[in-house]
Amino acid sequence: MKLVLRAALFAVLALGHSLPACPQALPSEPITFADGRVTISGDVSVAVAPEDPGFFNYTDYEHSALRLFRLDVSTAVAMGGHFTALGEMRTENLGQVHAYALYLRIRPWIDRPFDIQAGRVPPTFGAFARRTYASDNLLIGYPLAYQYLTSLRADALPVNADELLSMRGRGWLSQFSLGSRDLAAGLPLATAFRWDTGVQVHAAGHAVDATAAITTGTLSNPLFKDDNSGRQVAGRVSVHPVAGLLIGASAAHGPFVSSTAARGAVGDGHDGAFTQTAFGADIEYSHAYYLVRGETVFSEWKVPAVGTPLIDTPLRALATYVEGRYKIRPGVYVAARIDHLGFNDVTGSSGPRTWEAPVTRLEVGGGYSVLRNLLLKVSCQRNTRDGGFVREATLGAVQLVYWF
Amino acid sequence: MRSRKTAGIAIVFAAIAVVSPRPAVHGARNGTIAGRVELRRAAPPVERRPTVAELGAPTAALDISDRLRSVVYLDSAPRGAFEPVETPRAVMDQRGERFIPHVLAITTGTVVDFPNSDRIYHNVFSLSKTRQFDLGRYAAGHSKPVRFDRPGVVRVFCDIHSHMNAFILVFSHPFFSLTDNDGRYHIDNVPPGTYNVVAWNEGVSSDARPVVVPDGGVAELDFTLR
Repeated sequence: MKLVLRAALFAVLALGHSLPACPQALPSEPITFADGRVTISGDVSVAVAPEDPGFFNYTDYEHSALRLFRLDVSTAVAMGGHFTALGEMRTENLGQVHAYALYLRIRPWIDRPFDIQAGRVPPTFGAFARRTYASDNLLIGYPLAYQYLTSLRADALPVNADELLSMRGRGWLSQFSLGSRDLAAGLPLATAFRWDTGVQVHAAGHAVDATAAITTGTLSNPLFKDDNSGRQVAGRVSVHPVAGLLIGASAAHGPFVSSTAARGAVGDGHDGAFTQTAFGADIEYSHAYYLVRGETVFSEWKVPAVGTPLIDTPLRALATYVEGRYKIRPGVYVAARIDHLGFNDVTGSSGPRTWEAPVTRLEVGGGYSVLRNLLLKVSCQRNTRDGGFVREATLGAVQLVYWF
Repeated sequence: MRSRKTAGIAIVFAAIAVVSPRPAVHGARNGTIAGRVELRRAAPPVERRPTVAELGAPTAALDISDRLRSVVYLDSAPRGAFEPVETPRAVMDQRGERFIPHVLAITTGTVVDFPNSDRIYHNVFSLSKTRQFDLGRYAAGHSKPVRFDRPGVVRVFCDIHSHMNAFILVFSHPFFSLTDNDGRYHIDNVPPGTYNVVAWNEGVSSDARPVVVPDGGVAELDFTLR
């Protein structure tokens, strides 16, 4: 909480102090120099909310999406018409600064919308993963598929179904017998908070865009350096037949268990067998003052069957959300999102049960643009979960977002 | 040189104080104020934010030509000089992810049409105190109008494409002129008298400068901005 308060104080000092007197003192547009070859933009957001004892909104053990100060600085350096270096440095709650994105974009033919991106690249899969900036997010919370932590981990594996089931509803801090014995946060279906490293190819047409990528990590566990013997392959196709309508489909497949954890479970040489496979579909339609989006993500993780009762089926999860926004007057909108995350059954000593606790979230809220690039959001979310120590929570939050 | 804020205030005052310090003589012939606005440097275009989260590079190019155009106007105008007969109309197009023109100077009561000439959606809006509006999203071939009844500066943006921006300067008198790309302007049909004249470019305005408009003649007045 202290960190959040410090962040809020920092934000107030940085933003609020100068607002009443001279809002123009703050940049409202990207900063450019070197004849426009270097462009820098920034995003600052601070979200304040009460304690979340059920860890419904945590992105790891220490960070809650509802209690977060985030500072992003993005840079694009154009090097001729063919090459652009792009990077984004990020800090959360004034912690360590890290490279959220850092890659080279290559356009082999200037006039053709075909790009190759190499480095720590934006996610290929899904729609929301590239929309995680506070200024793009209609509400303050994130869709469950991209944020909610399951108990599953890449560096530790359950020895049997009972151990897996014992961690239901404890994804914020789970622990298993095989691999790392440390307590650590589990994996979401697809994380919105780290980007993967690899090579991405994108082609855009009048009505169809297509992207493919090979990366070191997986949707749920993007990596800078690979920790197993396999790469993830991901692809996305989006169709926009008319203005305002976008339909997308995505798929990804790759080994997600670290070689250390796999060795602890089944010995050497098998880490490529424990894969995450995901499929996604998304749709967006907007017209006049309303915007509606829907997205569903299906994920299947293959984990080793070691001890009895065996985990004899892949672990599956399906997350679906629908969100909408309506502008009620210039600078003011209302928004809502309904979201559900469900899991398949595994059979433990006491019978079949979903391997993780299903979660449902309803979030309603709105935004008020104090300035074009200064947005105040409020939201209230209701979370329910069929498991864990805390099974329901109603949380209110306020967020201030500034960007240039 | 005044700030953006004072530039807006100046226009408002210009609109409110529709009086001449030295009224025109009855029966006199109107004159012209002409000259040139020199820009030491053109205002830089608003660059697209780094498209870090995009899967590929954007396609639309930016153009700075409109930023060379300035607006020159009378700080105060002759009483009764403005007698609108019908609702004037103007157009601000959305094409190639730009507003065209980038600067529009109009009189109060003007209806501005905002057609979308791109294949993609745009969402024109303004949070300016002079005129707040949000036209929502609409597709190519469609247009929506906005009527501007209060004088002042209106900054126009697209809610979808943050690099799209434009200015609309609303005057309650007709004594203003948009320069060409060389900075040349002329304000015609000005009754003889002494006036204060201001030049504006991309949110920056000059100090008001006095000029005497002769009976049926031309008063020359040049400005340097930025």
